[in-house]
Amino acid sequence: MEEERFLESIDPELAEFIKAKINSFIRWDILKLLYSNPHTVDTAERLARQCGRPVESVIRELEGMVRDGLLEMHLVAGIPVYSLPKNASTRQLIEKFLEACRNRQVRVRVVYHILKSQEVRFGEG
Amino acid sequence: MERVKTGIPGLDEMLSGGFYPGSVNLVEGAPGTGKSTLGMQFIYNGIVKFGEPGLLITFEEFPEQYYRDAENFGWDFRSLEKKGLLRVMMTSPEILKLDLERVSGMVEQAVLEKGVKRIVVDSITHFERLASDPVELRNLEYSFVNALKRLELTAILTRESPVLLGGEMGTYPLSYIVDSYILLRYVEIDSRIYKAILVLKFRGSDHAKDIRRLEITSNGIEVLERFEGREGLMSGTPRRMAESFVEAFIRK
Repeated sequence: MEEERFLESIDPELAEFIKAKINSFIRWDILKLLYSNPHTVDTAERLARQCGRPVESVIRELEGMVRDGLLEMHLVAGIPVYSLPKNASTRQLIEKFLEACRNRQVRVRVVYHILKSQEVRFGEG
Repeated sequence: MERVKTGIPGLDEMLSGGFYPGSVNLVEGAPGTGKSTLGMQFIYNGIVKFGEPGLLITFEEFPEQYYRDAENFGWDFRSLEKKGLLRVMMTSPEILKLDLERVSGMVEQAVLEKGVKRIVVDSITHFERLASDPVELRNLEYSFVNALKRLELTAILTRESPVLLGGEMGTYPLSYIVDSYILLRYVEIDSRIYKAILVLKFRGSDHAKDIRRLEITSNGIEVLERFEGREGLMSGTPRRMAESFVEAFIRK
């Protein structure tokens, strides 16, 4: 696929991570928020406010991120709260991804990849 | 009795040595008076001077802002977090309250696993939106304070004061529940704004009764000398005391 070729120049482990797990801008925002504030444990509504994104979209993404192992979800008295996973290797990949995104070339590639994956998602819908 | 020193120059002396272990202490002030800095300094000094790991809980301000602000004072919060001595945690008041109530919650785990002894909650003002009824709010805060005591944490709760200068001293319910109550205020003297600190209440302990000057320096907060020859300081716009009074009682 065209987008796969576009990610070829990135470190293979990172490219795989981006292809498999980073398919929306909201996911990127949430990871950035939680990576910068690593001991955040909060509800979907509050995370949405902290990212400045609509609650419904954030809830949808959070569920997917938990399924993909990017986040952990715990119930506190029945209320779901989200945080970064304790798993060190996933945390390292998230760090690697966000550090790589400091580079404009990588950012452009990630943006292109997200736009392409959204095209696929909307096309399927 | 043993005290928990804040390590803040001048403040422990005002508190007759420091807070009581396992006490809950309220610090109230207008924006910029130094509440959060005081809290951060209490936590930082606890770790580096007294070997007591700490937990800083924020409801609205992002932890990365604390890392940055702390760095400006030369306190490396990120490195302390990496060493497992500090945790700057962002959550919501509802979740914190529920977490403290349950067995083996996040705070309790931090106490058991990391040996956390000091906690700062910045700011408790956000609790006020959990209950509109004053009786319900008091019960909620009472339960919260007791949960912190159950964990034997020495706590600072900050509270935002809506008035910049002077204003009436409210009868905020939490001030009755906590062990000590410290007020930070702005004071205008000769067209200049100063910061003032007063220990209004300290249950079971003697404490300084005077109003002292507070400065935020590059090393953090320092409590300086008392304001001399002025009255009505807490109104925000003090007056000079009568010269004769000054002659008689101060300039000896």
